[in-house]
Amino acid sequence: MIGSTHNLKHMFSRFRISTLLFLCCALVSCSSVSTINIEGSYPSPLVSQLPLTLGVIYDNAFSDYSFTEVDEYSGEDQYIINSGASQVELFSTILPAVFNQVIYLSSADEASAYPNLDIIFTPAIEEFQIGLPQKTRLDVYEIWVKYNMRLTAPNGSSIADWVMTAYGKAPQSTFGSVDAGVNEAAIEAFRDLAATFSLGLTSIPEVNNWLQVNNVL
Amino acid sequence: MNNNDFSVKTALQICQVFFLMILTACTTTEIDQFRQSDTEISADESIVILGRRQGTSHETELDFVECVGDVVASGNDGINVIPEETFLDEMFPFFEPRTAPMRTDHLEQLMAQDIAAEKLEDFGVEYIVWLDGLTQRSGETGSISCAVGPGGGGCFGFGTWTDDSNFEAEIWDMDTLTSAGAISADANGQSYLPAIFLPIPLLARVESNVCSGMGEQLKSFLNGSV
Repeated sequence: MIGSTHNLKHMFSRFRISTLLFLCCALVSCSSVSTINIEGSYPSPLVSQLPLTLGVIYDNAFSDYSFTEVDEYSGEDQYIINSGASQVELFSTILPAVFNQVIYLSSADEASAYPNLDIIFTPAIEEFQIGLPQKTRLDVYEIWVKYNMRLTAPNGSSIADWVMTAYGKAPQSTFGSVDAGVNEAAIEAFRDLAATFSLGLTSIPEVNNWLQVNNVL
Repeated sequence: MNNNDFSVKTALQICQVFFLMILTACTTTEIDQFRQSDTEISADESIVILGRRQGTSHETELDFVECVGDVVASGNDGINVIPEETFLDEMFPFFEPRTAPMRTDHLEQLMAQDIAAEKLEDFGVEYIVWLDGLTQRSGETGSISCAVGPGGGGCFGFGTWTDDSNFEAEIWDMDTLTSAGAISADANGQSYLPAIFLPIPLLARVESNVCSGMGEQLKSFLNGSV
């Protein structure tokens, strides 16, 4: 009888410790921030190449771009989405397909070292939004990105500030985890950007005008 | 009546209930076909099956497209199917959600571009099949409770729901750049989830039935046998 009481006490004590550990873990997981590094590969676009030499500048704001989704109830950081490296990879794939030669510049000052440059391109992210199924009540993860594709002449004069929005979505049923869903939605958005950029560049009135003035079209 | 008789009788009754549920957890599938022109495909020609992903409310799942492709490619009368991902990457950026042709006159515009037309010719694509649709779940009722204790755990309860699949395949002829026809597939089925200690899923295979039905019909359609 004493033995069984001791066993019950021991079991109850273990149950209390397990419950406390579980609650601690639950609290830690509730308050922790999840970091999502966007990773993907992008195809080279099938487009006619422009006979131009492009200088491209990925500034730190672009190449290290990170978006933080804040929980609307607690006000705490919920997800940190690092997409800069993936976007640099995207542009490094599409630009050599669209332009005859691409030169990577660290800053606009470096342009003077390359007299054959025709255009300088500086991509910038103006806005980044994320739609999570638990917030939107839709069955998809969504990503919107608003870009400014800044094109300038080597002397610094503006050719065009091409503002475009890219959108990507991924079904919740296919991508069970938030990380996988957000990653896929971001890749879809970047593909959308690449498709619009590669097919629409020469149709932008300012760009089209510059290409005609410079006898490229 | 002793305890053993009672146990055997109860077990038999539970088996009868499960058997009835298995019988009723079945799927009703309806396939319709609309042909606009004759079709035929040779062994050296290919097709590509693409999912429509332009809608805001839904997008055709990659898995479903792959499933239909597997059915079309299977058997002695199987057809060469180019994997969707390979096609989209090789044809990038012409078949992305924002740029893909929505109608056959858009396809004509696309084929007017040499760079796209040459790539499609390299693929040997004779037909493009556009799949559009989704599976929706409704009528979810019942509840299941599970508990875990020092002596073990278990679940008890009952859940049921209805799955409804609606898909349509539109077939584009790449020789004539016109629509060759369309196939639609609708299916619905009731699933059950009884739980006596362990949950026992009795699932209606709605989407997989639509996949096999759609795939077989598509294969017959393209081979010109129906």
